[in-house]
Amino acid sequence: MAICTGCSLLCEDIVASFENGSLKHAKNLCRKGHGHFQAAFTERTRPMIDGEQVTIDKAVERAAEILKSAKSPLLYGWSNCTEEAQSEGIALAEKLGATAEATIACTTSFCEGILMERVLSGKIETCTLDDVRNYADTSIFWGSDPSSSHPRHLSRFSYYPRGEKRQRSYEEERTCIAVDVRRSPTAQLCSNYYFRLPPGGDLPFMEAILAVLDGKIPKVADKKKMIELATVLKKTEWGAIFPGPGLIYSLQDKMELFEQLLARLNEITPFKVVPMVADCNARGFNELLFEKTGHASSVSFNGGSAAYGPEHSVLAAAKKCDAVLAIGSDPLSELPIGTARALAHQPIIAIDPRRSLTTDAAKVVIPSALIGLEAGGTAVRMDGVKIKFEPVMNSELLTDEQILARIMEAV
Amino acid sequence: MAEVEVVVVAVRDIFQDEAGRKSLFSEEYKSLSALIILDKQDMAGLAVKDGDKLLAKNDAGSIVVAARASKDDAKEAHPGLAFMCSSPWYNQLVSDDSCQGSVKATLAPTAEAITAISEIQARMKS
Ligand code: SF4
Repeated sequence: MAICTGCSLLCEDIVASFENGSLKHAKNLCRKGHGHFQAAFTERTRPMIDGEQVTIDKAVERAAEILKSAKSPLLYGWSNCTEEAQSEGIALAEKLGATAEATIACTTSFCEGILMERVLSGKIETCTLDDVRNYADTSIFWGSDPSSSHPRHLSRFSYYPRGEKRQRSYEEERTCIAVDVRRSPTAQLCSNYYFRLPPGGDLPFMEAILAVLDGKIPKVADKKKMIELATVLKKTEWGAIFPGPGLIYSLQDKMELFEQLLARLNEITPFKVVPMVADCNARGFNELLFEKTGHASSVSFNGGSAAYGPEHSVLAAAKKCDAVLAIGSDPLSELPIGTARALAHQPIIAIDPRRSLTTDAAKVVIPSALIGLEAGGTAVRMDGVKIKFEPVMNSELLTDEQILARIMEAV
Repeated sequence: MAEVEVVVVAVRDIFQDEAGRKSLFSEEYKSLSALIILDKQDMAGLAVKDGDKLLAKNDAGSIVVAARASKDDAKEAHPGLAFMCSSPWYNQLVSDDSCQGSVKATLAPTAEAITAISEIQARMKS
């Protein structure tokens, strides 16, 4: 059995066989996972310095030199690395931070990190997806679209499976509610309970829910539908909310109203929250950094202490950094153009198994083994469940963890 | 030349995601990423049909993308609201201080070619 690292569901039931450098047969992979497995054999990177192929030793040595001489390195990505590599990365940032200002940040620092920090600090109650499968009769996909982002979420956990207390499942016992700016593929499943909001309309929608729960008239156009929603929520025995980027971007620094809504719902019935982090081990990084520093997605180490705040964000760090270590992500594809451009003008060390916009722009490219297929380790599923896995393919490539350990030794 | 102001919301699409995993440099990924889904009313306002090219621009940058009419019916019409998959193309319109989830942009028909990934890479180095 193989694990799929295509998203943070980390499906462990994958059967796959390979022949002549391609995927021959696969069972249980979703479309996204299938693309992820197929990609294993294409556009693989080679060790490079300034566009010239070099030995892996030379590339690692050059990477260490760049980081060692940097005054404000940014170590970015991490969400597609094992926990073992993430721990090594945090230790590297700390070591660099002894003599420089080293910022370490993962991909959730722009979005889900803010919510994850509240989950990890216990401000927001969470649960496992196994709890959802066994007990949930109401699931709310709020600004999230698992059919597109986490394709097996509905079939493994939240809608279709027959759980311990939900044997009659989606036919009779489960209600799904979608709150989104568009009728997404997930919202199409929830045709009776789809609430279309304008961008940024989440706060007034929360206020309307709070009003109807308290028996007041909500200030929305479709009052009847809101009252119907309140009835579903009040009748719920065990509920789960899956917030995605749509909700999190909309709330940003106004999380209190969401917490107020959760508190009100929990006075009536249990409602748990599982943030829909995207990348396979984003939560693992959030947990490790939170444990170490009390912050989940981004900190700067400087002179032995860790600092947090807008001036230590990726955006701020990108403007002042003089070296970039990109690992477990492709920042030049994923970040706003201004930030991507700022990074592209600094010496980038890209540790990546496959070609990306970041490896194309990098000064040093270090190829690594693919997590899940060629590299084993530990990752944390979106709901906090730790999953250990072994590689299913032989590879001579170094793992992220081994590369980082070698850099660590040399800086 | 007609111009329309829209809010572009970043969305996910399993087919675009799959294409990107296989190759960020493929025609398939470009065709699914450099694509903007518009309400039929906005398509009419711009006098464009499916596949016609639009220049999308704002203070952060600009890109040329293909237009496609939304499948939503009149009951769910969304004039002024457009959708693009998260990708390097969408990110050309995102400024550092704007929310990454949605951006404002002005659209106008153009005869220019769809922005190539190589052009985006060159802009980053400029
Ligand atoms: S749902 Fe996610 S982890 Fe599971 S097979 Fe699909 S991409 Fe892979």
